Order: sequence, then C-alpha cells, then structure tokens
Amino acid sequence: MNMLIMLWRNFWGGARTLRFPARPKVTGRFRGQVRFDPSLCTGCAVCRFRCTSRAIEYKAGKGEFYWSYDPGQCTFCGRCVEGCKAQALSQESACPPIYTNLGELKKSYTVARKAPAPKAGAPAAKTSAAAPTPAPVPAPGGDE
Amino acid sequence: MNLWNRMMCFCRRKSPWLFHMNSGSCNGCDIELVASLSPRYDAEQLGIRLEGSPRHADILCITGPVTKNSVNAIKTVYCQVCGPKAVVAIGSCPATTNVFIDSRTLAGPLNKHIPVDVFVPGCPPRPDAIIQGVAKAAEILAERSAAQSAVPAVQEPECAEAIAAESGEVHS
Amino acid sequence: MNLTTALARLLIFPGLLFAVPAAWFFLWVERKSVAMMQGRIGPPFMQPTLDFVKLLGKSTPSRMGIEGWLMRAWPLIAVSSAAGAVALLPVLPSSGGFEGDLILLLALLELPSVCIIAAGFTSRSIFGEIGSAREAALAVAYNVVFLLAVVSIAAAQHTFRLDALAQMPNTPLRWLGIAAMLVCLPAKLHINPFSLPNAEQEIYSGPMVEYAGPELAMWELSHGLEWVTATGLVAALVAPHVPMVWLAGPVFVALSFAIVLLLSVLAAATARLAIDTSVRFYWQCTLIFAVLAISSALILRMRT
Repeated sequence: MNMLIMLWRNFWGGARTLRFPARPKVTGRFRGQVRFDPSLCTGCAVCRFRCTSRAIEYKAGKGEFYWSYDPGQCTFCGRCVEGCKAQALSQESACPPIYTNLGELKKSYTVARKAPAPKAGAPAAKTSAAAPTPAPVPAPGGDE
Repeated sequence: MNLWNRMMCFCRRKSPWLFHMNSGSCNGCDIELVASLSPRYDAEQLGIRLEGSPRHADILCITGPVTKNSVNAIKTVYCQVCGPKAVVAIGSCPATTNVFIDSRTLAGPLNKHIPVDVFVPGCPPRPDAIIQGVAKAAEILAERSAAQSAVPAVQEPECAEAIAAESGEVHS
Repeated sequence: MNLTTALARLLIFPGLLFAVPAAWFFLWVERKSVAMMQGRIGPPFMQPTLDFVKLLGKSTPSRMGIEGWLMRAWPLIAVSSAAGAVALLPVLPSSGGFEGDLILLLALLELPSVCIIAAGFTSRSIFGEIGSAREAALAVAYNVVFLLAVVSIAAAQHTFRLDALAQMPNTPLRWLGIAAMLVCLPAKLHINPFSLPNAEQEIYSGPMVEYAGPELAMWELSHGLEWVTATGLVAALVAPHVPMVWLAGPVFVALSFAIVLLLSVLAAATARLAIDTSVRFYWQCTLIFAVLAISSALILRMRT
C-alpha cells in the first residue's frame, strides 16, 4: 500500500528531472580541471612529481621551461594543487568538457624563468616589492 | 538526400540505444552511468535505453582501462554491435589509462583496438556529462549515416574474421 | 462475415491501420506513465515510432542456412498472428463474427509466445535457451488460469462467438472471469512482476539476444500488437453494450487505455519475480479463482 501512495505522490508531484541540456550546479569544492597561472609558477616541478597519473609534463630548458597538462589523463585528485608552493595551480569548479579527438584538451605553456628572489640573511635585501613569489623565501633546509 | 535518409538520420539521433561494457574499470564510471538513468538526470528523456544485448544497441559505452584479459571481449562485442554504430569512452581510463599508465596488465588505451567517437573525461564523470557524451555520439551517428546516405549492410573488414571465429565456435 | 468485412477488419479497424499506431501509442503510455510514477519525465510521444524506424535501418548479422531462414521467419509469424488476433476483436457491434472465433483469437494470441520460445532456441545461444525455458514455464503457468477464465465466461453463455460474449448480461461470474484474465495479463505482456523472459541485464535479453535491425523491429511491433489485443479483449468483454457504431470505437479505445494505465501502475509498483515464485503464484494463488469460475459456470449450465 505504501508503494501505491508513493507512486501517487510521484505522479502528481511532477518530475524532478533536469531537462536536457540543463546541468546541475556543482559546489565550490568540486575538483575539475586544473588551471595554471604562468606568472606565478617558479618551475619547481613538484606538481609533476606529485601527479598520480602523469598528466603534468615538465621539461627544463635554458632560461625557460615547458609545462603541459592533459585533462584527459588527469584523475582530478588535487595533489598538484596541494603541493604547489607558489599557488600557481587551482582547480576549477566545473566538469571537464567532452571531446572527440584524443589530446584535444591538452594545454601546454612555455614559461620564461624569472630572476630568483633575493636570499634571506643578506643584510639589506628585504626587497619584497619585486619578489615574484608571494610565499616568503625559505632558508635552506626548511620545514618540508 | 532523399526523404528516407533524412528520416533515418532523424530517428538515429532521437533513439540511441546503449550497450554498456566494462573493460576492467573500478566501477566508478559504471555506477555513474547507471545513475544517469535515475529520475534526476533521466537519460530516457532523450530516448536512451540501456539494452541487454549488444546486437540491439547503436552506441557502445565502454569504461575501464583495457586490461589484457578483456581485449578480445571488447573486439568481439564491438563486432557484434550491428549497423551504424558509435563508441563512447566513459571516464579518463579508456582514453588514456589514467592512473594505471605503467601497469603490466593493460593493453593500452581503447582507441588502439576500436575506433572511438566521443571521450567523456572525468574520474568518474558526472551523469550529466555522460548524457551529454551519449547525445553527442547520437549526433555523430546521424551525421555519419547522412554522409553514407545508404542503408549500411556490411560490417567492417576486421570484424569478418571475428564473426567467422565466433560462428565457428558456435557451430562446432 | 464476408470477404470485404474480413479484409476491412484485418486492414483498417481494428486491423493494421488502427492497431499499429495504437500499439505504438500504448507502448508510449506504458513507458511514460511508469516514468511519471517514478518521478521522471519519460520518452517523448513519438519514441516507439522512432525506435521502430531506426531499427529498420540497421544491418542484421549474417546467418547461414536453415537457421537464418527460421530466425527471420519467427518475428514475421509473430507479427502476422498478432495482427490477425487484433482483427478478430469484437469492437463494433454489428461487424459480424463466426462461430468459434473466440478459439481462433486465443490461438492467435498464443502464437507470439510460441514464436519467442522457438526463436530463443533457434538462436543457438545459451542466453536464448535460458530465456526460452523461462518463457515456456511462465506460459504454462498463466495459460491454465487464462484459458479456464475465458472458457468459464464462454460456457456460461453457451457460445464461443466473441460478439455474443461482448454483449452478455452482467453477472458476478462474468466479473470473476474478467478479474482472472486481468491477473494473467502482466505475464502475457511480459511486464513487471512477470517480466522474467526478457530480463535485460540478467540474461542479455533472453530469446531476443541474437536479433537485430528489422527483425527486432518486428518483435517490438508484435509486442505492441499483443498489448492492443490483450487489453482489447478485456475491454471488449467489459464494455457496456453501445448500439451506435461511432461511439463503440472510442469507448473501446478509452477502456483499453484504462487497462493499460492499470497495468502500468502494477509494473511501476512491483519488481521482477523469479520463475519459481511466478509459477507458484499462478498455480497456487490464482488457480483457485479460475477453478471457482469454471465450476460456477458448469453448475449454472447444468441448472438451466
């Protein structure tokens, strides 16, 4: 009897379906594609080390480096985002789009290396105005 | 293009029947595929039906990085799907083998074995992304049959040996 | 009835010209109402028609020899017998019938099930064999009740003519027989809770596993025509006697529609029963009512 009551309520309550092509909103914490900000990246390649599925490629060159990311290979775990000290990586809260050719979504960048930030301990070198990284320059052998 | 072909293209876009096959996946994508039939996402509003037999289906949905044990099964099932067909690779695993990239038990990404039309990335992809992928595959199917503009009657050549092998086993 | 009446009934009303769109309509009604009761929007209105046309355009697998001939023949036999059964329905009051057309209707209504069983075995696939065995067990189970119910209605009226049965007076026996027939309809039409033979995921569609393309379209059409015939038979027996021709048709369609809705509610509310439970349901629970109906009919006959 409960089943018939439930069916009656469903029938008159209207459908709770999303009409195609409407899609539901995802929360802000949804882990979508990784977004890369070349101006913040220091070229440390920790993201490539931490990546679980080799979606991130990094090749060092003279004065510049090559960084690429393939969302088709990515598993959206977020380890690269957590490991980036420069906070150059973030994850968008949107589903990755469908595609028809392999490698279509791959994004690659060639980033020129920036001049290194002045080391801490030098007497008058606390020039943080021109420092490229927002994180403070650590002493060697830091707190990793 | 005459009336019959135009009608056939319209019907193929509006009535995609799926067959779902798991080639070694962790079942995350399979669960999301079945979730797309639930009331919130409702794949049936597009006419999508999950069929029991590959012979009934137009669109083959494959999940999982293709393990070595499943390669023959994938090829056999692909050949068993009749007529104009499309393949959707659901999840990142069939496209690029995702996290299992160095595994000894895998036989590579899916498009090494069968032609893939649509890739739906995600680990697992959301059900609405899967429905979008299937709708795109249905459009590709309709365009492909419009380009051929004839009722297709023969299977691809590499399927001929597979069919002969399969019917040989059955008749023996 | 003469040849022109027979051809009109076979081809126009309630024959193919009416029955094929009605089959697609009833299939859509079933899918849409089950969807609405599950809280989703279902397929669009033309969906069964679009499915049918799409299937006509697919290729079929190559089959050799006698197996190919048989596999192609079974769906055609199923469609033609279902169409013939629809043509025999006593919808219009004065369209004539012939002595014994009830028996012919029951035989033609049974042929699609026999064709499904044969097709499963002809396909030489193990899933087809399992599905056919289940269909055969289910057919044996519900046919006992179904035939006893129909025969009890016919025996009480001393006739096997359908149009005489459609106009029979209201007795409790008649409603008992119709109730017994309604209970058998879900098994005949393979809907929940008796949808075992074409269990999709369990046995890869059972007897239909090797069918594709136009043959599968014919199977879907025969399934739709079975819907029209089975619900139409119950509707024709239930329908009140309407003398005007132009009213009898819509009343018949409306009653069939109501029966389709009733069966959809049952399909949405239940899950699939296993074969032993289904057979036990028909042989233990409902058989008693069918036996009651037939014994009351025979006792009434002996008294008159």
